[in-house]
Amino acid sequence: MTFNDAVHATDLRRRYGEGEAAVDALAGVTIGFARGEYSAIMGPSGSGKSTLMHCLAGLDRPTGGKVVIEGTALSGLDDADLTKLRRDKVGFIFQSFNLLPVLTAEENILLPLSIAGRRPDRAWFDQLVDTVGLRDRLTHRPSELSGGQQQRVAVARALASRPAVIFADEPTGNLDSKASAEVLALLRRSVDELDQTVIMVTHDHDAASIADRLVVLADGRVDEDRRLDREAA
Amino acid sequence: MLRLSLRGLGARKLRAALTIVAVALGVALIAGTYVLTDTINKSFDDIFQTAAQGTDVSIQARDAVENDDGNVNTTIPASFAERVERVPGVAKVSGEVDTQGALFDPKGKRIGGHGAPTLIFSTQPAPFSPLSYPQGRAPKTDDEVALLESIADKHDVKVGDTVSVVGSGPRQPVRVVGLAKFGGVTAFGGAAVVVVTLPEAQRLAGTPGQLTGISVVAAPGVEPARLRDAIRRVSPQTVAVRTGKENADKNSRDIRDQLSFLRTALLAFAAISLFVGAFIIFNTFSITVAQRMREFALLRTLGASRRQVMGQVLAEGFLIGAIGSVVGLLAGLALAPALRALFKAIGADLPSSGNVVETRTIVVSLLIGTVVTLVSGLLPAIRATHVPPVAALREGAVLPPTRAHRFVTPAGVVMGALGALALGAGLFGGAGVTLVGLGALLVFLGVAVLSPKLVPPLTAAIGRPLPGLMGRLARENTVRQPGRTAVTASALMIGVTLVAFVSIFAAGAKATIDDAVTSALRPSALIVQNTDGFTPIPSAVGDAMARVPGVRHASEVRYTTGRVRGVKGDASIAAVDPATLATVFEIPWEQGSDATLRTLGDGGTIVSKKYAKKNDLKPGSRVRVLTPTREHVTLTVRGIVDDRTELFGDLTVSARLAHDAFGQRQDALVLLDVDPSRAAAVRKSIDTALDHHYPIAETLTAKEFTDRQAGQVDQLLALIYVLLSLAVIVSLFGIVNTLVLSIYERTRELGMLRAIGTSRRQVRRMIRYEAVITSLIGAAIGIVLGLVIAVAIAQPLKSDGFQLAIPVGQLVVVMVLAALAGVLAAILPARRAARLDVLQALAYE
Repeated sequence: MTFNDAVHATDLRRRYGEGEAAVDALAGVTIGFARGEYSAIMGPSGSGKSTLMHCLAGLDRPTGGKVVIEGTALSGLDDADLTKLRRDKVGFIFQSFNLLPVLTAEENILLPLSIAGRRPDRAWFDQLVDTVGLRDRLTHRPSELSGGQQQRVAVARALASRPAVIFADEPTGNLDSKASAEVLALLRRSVDELDQTVIMVTHDHDAASIADRLVVLADGRVDEDRRLDREAA
Repeated sequence: MLRLSLRGLGARKLRAALTIVAVALGVALIAGTYVLTDTINKSFDDIFQTAAQGTDVSIQARDAVENDDGNVNTTIPASFAERVERVPGVAKVSGEVDTQGALFDPKGKRIGGHGAPTLIFSTQPAPFSPLSYPQGRAPKTDDEVALLESIADKHDVKVGDTVSVVGSGPRQPVRVVGLAKFGGVTAFGGAAVVVVTLPEAQRLAGTPGQLTGISVVAAPGVEPARLRDAIRRVSPQTVAVRTGKENADKNSRDIRDQLSFLRTALLAFAAISLFVGAFIIFNTFSITVAQRMREFALLRTLGASRRQVMGQVLAEGFLIGAIGSVVGLLAGLALAPALRALFKAIGADLPSSGNVVETRTIVVSLLIGTVVTLVSGLLPAIRATHVPPVAALREGAVLPPTRAHRFVTPAGVVMGALGALALGAGLFGGAGVTLVGLGALLVFLGVAVLSPKLVPPLTAAIGRPLPGLMGRLARENTVRQPGRTAVTASALMIGVTLVAFVSIFAAGAKATIDDAVTSALRPSALIVQNTDGFTPIPSAVGDAMARVPGVRHASEVRYTTGRVRGVKGDASIAAVDPATLATVFEIPWEQGSDATLRTLGDGGTIVSKKYAKKNDLKPGSRVRVLTPTREHVTLTVRGIVDDRTELFGDLTVSARLAHDAFGQRQDALVLLDVDPSRAAAVRKSIDTALDHHYPIAETLTAKEFTDRQAGQVDQLLALIYVLLSLAVIVSLFGIVNTLVLSIYERTRELGMLRAIGTSRRQVRRMIRYEAVITSLIGAAIGIVLGLVIAVAIAQPLKSDGFQLAIPVGQLVVVMVLAALAGVLAAILPARRAARLDVLQALAYE
């Protein structure tokens, strides 16, 4: 266990239901994610990969074990503290983009800062916009953007608050191959150039191959955990 | 398919419950109104039927022209009773006197005097028995009275106590010797009933030797109807002869007629609530149809016809309507006593014994509630049929716009214009209440149809002060579906429009009275009137006032009615003292001068400007007038006045003529010309004199008088507000419903917001802002619309002296209340939105 991990889980367990119908989605997972690391989590349906991500992100409460994000243990936090933690330390990228249709691209990107009532750092914002390549789309609403563009907005939104970790849940699930490649490259750059920590759940091997590390879950346990040779990808 | 509808309802319990409430509240008011008025009618029927027992034929004095105040001016000479006694078939007759006065408890405090009258009845011998005495006995001498049991109990008066009665003369101390029931009941619609001997009743009425009615018992074997006809043959036109039963029916009918206004008014408010409910039902169904598009499309791909899809929506409407109606009907039963309490609070203590639930009440309540729901659900049901089957397969499909879409704006304009026309025709063309209602309905529909266009600018304006991201999101969410917001806001708009209109109009009425009275009454003048504010006072009060040192003149004013030959309808007749009126009142002469008054005599009249114009009268014109007591008088027009205080009638005559030819023996008010150098001292001695002899009356300055009038306007206003609040409550349920449904649609958005760090408090704030924006849009449109209607209606009334006054403070209060109502409506939806399970919300599709 490394105290320097951005996210660390110890003997994480999550059980759904009770009695005979109980299902152990996570059956004791201990894993750490280092700062500046791009991890891909894979596994067949029902392997617990989504549950792991939800528990790591403080969206779901584990039934056993603990999660620490940047030195903060999630188990002791109430809803308000968890909310604040997500706001300050966690970024999300969803399969279905989940942008607010009523806001422009720029407003969507700045949403986490607006929620927190923080003033955006203009230099950082400019850098972000250039990184995701949306300079000329900032005043557009999500409905006026392509899927790839929407997901790039979502990536920028996740990066906006410079979180300790970004969770990406099937970020390319709704995209064609070209857009997928763009978004994955973007995530890669955010790790390489902006020193972000990214944890991505996917069932797409091509997507996973861009990561530094591949974690494969099966039946609620870590089945495989290895570093990827990026040159080969 | 019906089972599917039932399942659908079960799956959306909250929405169904909220929609049911929207139907139920209006239905409850309908049912409550019917139950209340039926119960009151039934109670009075029972009283009159019981009171008529023992009377075969009833002879009642009858005015040729009816007074507005319901008093009968005509009397029957006592000698006529003797004539009736000689009619073959008559076994027994009893003369009676019914009059009105005032009753004071042992401490001198007035009993009653808040809306319900004090009735004075003379005793009657057996077998005439409208009255019975559970305690004590009937009065036998002039200083004895019996009181209606309920009134005595309420004011803690016992047999043996000394109370006092004021009729046509000064206060008279009398001893209570019995507690009475009238028509078998101890209460008579809140009226105080005082029973006295016949001679005392005649003295109190100021008509010695005169009767107001005669009861007759037929000899054994004589048919009442036969006897009635026999008596009719010897009767003058000034009496009505009926059998005992007919008379009871007539009394019941008169009460029914009086109460029918109450019923109509309450039903109008019920209609408003239902109309508001219809908006909410329409909106709810529209939103659900949009949300369930995939489901309808799926049904279609599985082979359901358009008609089946429509049937499914309508079946749901039917269920909601039926359940809402039943709930409303049951609530109405509970509401009836509450309504009664409401009227009691403003002084009208209506009798009721148990709840009378007629079949009609049940049928009408259920039918109206169900039909309104079905009609409101019809358009959404038709829209549901337009869902193409392919929508089942496509994600994010939207309902195709209907062909009628582009006609919506012109239709709204046409509806509004037609409504305005109908409103105008109904109000000023004399076309009646139905047209007014229809006009208002169309105006509201028209504005509602147009209001989606107003939503974006109004949201921008109203929502501007709402701070931060949540304010911004609330604004955006509000305009996201302008039609939905518009209908929701329109529901509130209806209530607010009526509130605004009524308060603007009432403010105008108060300002008009205030200005008219203050400018017309001379500064030194005092007004003497009944402490209850509306029934007449004995004419002796004026004489007594004139004797108080420092009172330079006492000028009496009375009112009655007459029928002018060649003119349709009755003319209001005012009677003044020609010698003194000008000392207290600045007469707004159009033609003539204060000297004209002296020429009034017994054959002259002053005509109001309006009446003169309408009937082409000029000084010198002659009018022939039929009086209540069936006399014909010819009057010559001496002058014309343009009076805004309504002191003058259509025709104004001398007080002496009103007494002699019209049979009006009492004054409505007395105006005193007080020595201004010692006004305070004089008023004090006036008040002492009144307290001592005529506690029925009190003095008021012009200011106090107008304040009193304003108070009455305010009381009526309060009643209207209470009744309108039901419509407003219904519209709040609409806001709740719309928010709940829109939150349901935005589940995933809310989940995302929560996931990326939005706190529950922030979510609640956003929803609250949305509710406040929506309610303020409704209030803003409503206030403007109310203002426009009030100004439009006030315009033609200006010639009658109506002054428009805009109660800015009150309208601001309405806006603030609307905002608070929005906050209130947001509580439940906001809580639901904040409690969303983030994971489920994100997984939600």
